[in-house]
Amino acid sequence: MSAAGGLPRTGSALAIWPALRRSGLGPGLLMLAVVTGLNIALQPDFFSGASLSGNIATFAPTILICVAQAVIVLSRELDLSLGAGVSLINCVMASLPQDKVGGPLGVMAIAILVAILLGAVNGLLVAYAGLPSLVATFATGAIWFGLALTIMPQPGGVISDAIGDRYAGTLMGIPVPLLIIAVAMTGWAILARHRSGRRIMAVGSNPQAARDAGIPLRRTKLLAYLVAWILVALGAIAISAQTLSGDPRLGTSYTLASVAAVVIGGISLGGGRGTPWGALVGALVLGLVTNVIYFAGIASSWQEFVKGLVIVAALGFMVLEGQRRA
Amino acid sequence: MTDHLPLPPGRVTARRISKSFGGVPALAGVDLEPRPGRVLGLLGANGSGKSTLCRIIAGEMAPDGGELLLDGEAVRFATPKDGVRHGIVIAHQHPSLAPDLPVWENLFLGMERCGLGGFVSRAGSRRAAWHMLQAVGLDIDIDQPVERLSAAEQQLVEIARALSREPRLLILDEPTAALSAALVERLFAHVRALAASGTAIIFISHRLQEVEALCDDLVVLRNGHRVGSWELDGSLDEARVLDLLTGDSDVASRARDRKPQAAREVVLTLEGLAAGTALRGVDLDLHSGEILGLAGLQGQGQEQLLDAVAGFRRKDSGRIVHRGRALSPRRPRDMIRRGICLVPNDRHRQGLFMNETVGENLAAVSVAMQPQPWRLRRRALRDFVQRAIPRLLIKTRGPAQPVATLSGGNQQKVVIGKWLDGSVDVLLLSDPTKGVDLRARREIYDTIADLVAGGSAALVYASDIHELLHHCDRILVMFEGRIVEALSGSAMTEQRVIAASFGRVA
Repeated sequence: MSAAGGLPRTGSALAIWPALRRSGLGPGLLMLAVVTGLNIALQPDFFSGASLSGNIATFAPTILICVAQAVIVLSRELDLSLGAGVSLINCVMASLPQDKVGGPLGVMAIAILVAILLGAVNGLLVAYAGLPSLVATFATGAIWFGLALTIMPQPGGVISDAIGDRYAGTLMGIPVPLLIIAVAMTGWAILARHRSGRRIMAVGSNPQAARDAGIPLRRTKLLAYLVAWILVALGAIAISAQTLSGDPRLGTSYTLASVAAVVIGGISLGGGRGTPWGALVGALVLGLVTNVIYFAGIASSWQEFVKGLVIVAALGFMVLEGQRRA
Repeated sequence: MTDHLPLPPGRVTARRISKSFGGVPALAGVDLEPRPGRVLGLLGANGSGKSTLCRIIAGEMAPDGGELLLDGEAVRFATPKDGVRHGIVIAHQHPSLAPDLPVWENLFLGMERCGLGGFVSRAGSRRAAWHMLQAVGLDIDIDQPVERLSAAEQQLVEIARALSREPRLLILDEPTAALSAALVERLFAHVRALAASGTAIIFISHRLQEVEALCDDLVVLRNGHRVGSWELDGSLDEARVLDLLTGDSDVASRARDRKPQAAREVVLTLEGLAAGTALRGVDLDLHSGEILGLAGLQGQGQEQLLDAVAGFRRKDSGRIVHRGRALSPRRPRDMIRRGICLVPNDRHRQGLFMNETVGENLAAVSVAMQPQPWRLRRRALRDFVQRAIPRLLIKTRGPAQPVATLSGGNQQKVVIGKWLDGSVDVLLLSDPTKGVDLRARREIYDTIADLVAGGSAALVYASDIHELLHHCDRILVMFEGRIVEALSGSAMTEQRVIAASFGRVA
């Protein structure tokens, strides 16, 4: 044809702006700027080292769990059991005899194994048994919560101080929570360049086309759940490292937060569109909103109410913005 | 047929394939022997089982009975992947692409070009993708998501993907429906080259001249049976094909009996109607009892004109006058109230509730528009549906059949049928026979003719000139958002329409 096309432009490193517009991340970043501004206004030492690392330590679990939800949503499914799963993992960790299972490393290894097991159950029910994920994971969430209550009817138990110290410390001069987030996002960046990651996107975008093209649907969806639940395990370990005890209701609020963060991050609930970076942005927005509520001195009894209002407003903003662009 | 000769290598054969959907047989023991190095034309009306047969051969669907032979050995395909592995590749009529993924990724969907450890080799894939698209004559940004492409471009991506997989059997399911003549020619050159290298090809099309130009063998299906097959030697016996397709050789020859438009009442007047960049000022008069055709190349504003009149989009300027009253529709409901109804272009997305039944679809408009929203007129609706099915000759088991299981032509009849309960005064139709076979096409126009005989009027856009010449009283040709020619009587010729389509007015 014409010479206008030429050889394909190599790479798209310079195409940040179109990539940003396509990603749907614009409104999320705008919201992030607004809440960051509010944080700075309410908390003048926002950028001090102590404040920043404290914030990152607090946000890390939310970020990890939101990114986990993003991976599942990209495959055109949903997981409403993430929060209860966090609680269950936390209770298992707190009820283990810390010294007899190989110390902190052993406890964390068991936490990851439990998470993989929970992810496998959800993945098998959704991908192989063909249950609708909305209902199936809502139900397994109730099961995880029930199990957590059985293991630990009241908040209690002990998690080794070693885990807490490690989490609060630094490695090679970098705060450990930041490192965990970096590892998780790098993990996704690697997966996104791998055949398996591309297939998760393809299945989410059009399952029928993916199937027609010979992509194994069920295996790909199961993979999405397993990857997500490894991230959930990291999130559960991070939050346990801060509480140092078990609580069967610890993770409850993360389920709603993760879905909200996914939407704020411009990831389509219809699957296939967006990136987990969006969930990272969404999680930061939600975390900073919580900060604002706290520093604005709103009574704790009103915090959930205000948080819900903010999420509804954020979603409304997203929808309006989406319509304007269309 | 019990004595099978040993087959030469690389040969895929379908034997006595049968399949039914919800008790309705779609295929009743069909044989198909595409031969290496030859193009097999598969002809049949909509609903004759062509697509079903091809999906079964490609492993996308399991047959109820019969078998697939690969070099004489029976094989079972559990998933489409098995078909691909054996070199059987299909380019679907409706492109099977992931809309959010970039063009280049779609070309390698399921067969990613990977380097070490399964990592997608991006640079290599993009370069190969560019060459694959150049080969079919598509010069586009390969990084944009597929959903941004036009229907024709998506079709070419689907075809380019199939061609690149070096198939031993390539199935092209209506590949040309969305393509311009130049692109069709280019595609045919490719297909011939592929056949010359020993690939077997199955080619499905409703355009007989394409089959004549491309195919070496011909198989005709009707109602899931194979009713004829022979070798073509350069020319197609059109009368015989039409006879086999429909069981009715009279099908193509019944032109509309045109009445003089002398003193007919004007139903709808447009004055300088403009909307967006595509519609730049249209004037027309639509008369009672008239079928008025909109012709022209694709994308000259015909669809925007229909959308603006139907209230699907707001007009920027100009007047829409219906029976003496100027209207400014804000939403389709405003116009439906006045009996101005649109049969949209995309029946799957805009025309039907795909998850519901024939009866529910037919009654949808009546339910939405009924004057007493709190009282569902069940009996009246049921009677309407019972009358509409035979009136439109919809081939269905009954009102309870899911509309998704009907063939394309019958689905289109349902889209039209849903307007027949109310008092339709102006029926707007956007390419109503796209992907519809000859018989259903005639039946659809018969219905329209019936409707306008009662005093209403129809405004039809169709991409096929012959269809308009055949069925319309007058033809308006659009070019770049305006009407450049109005033809009636003996001036309605293919030459005049084509000339005006390119902006050349006599």
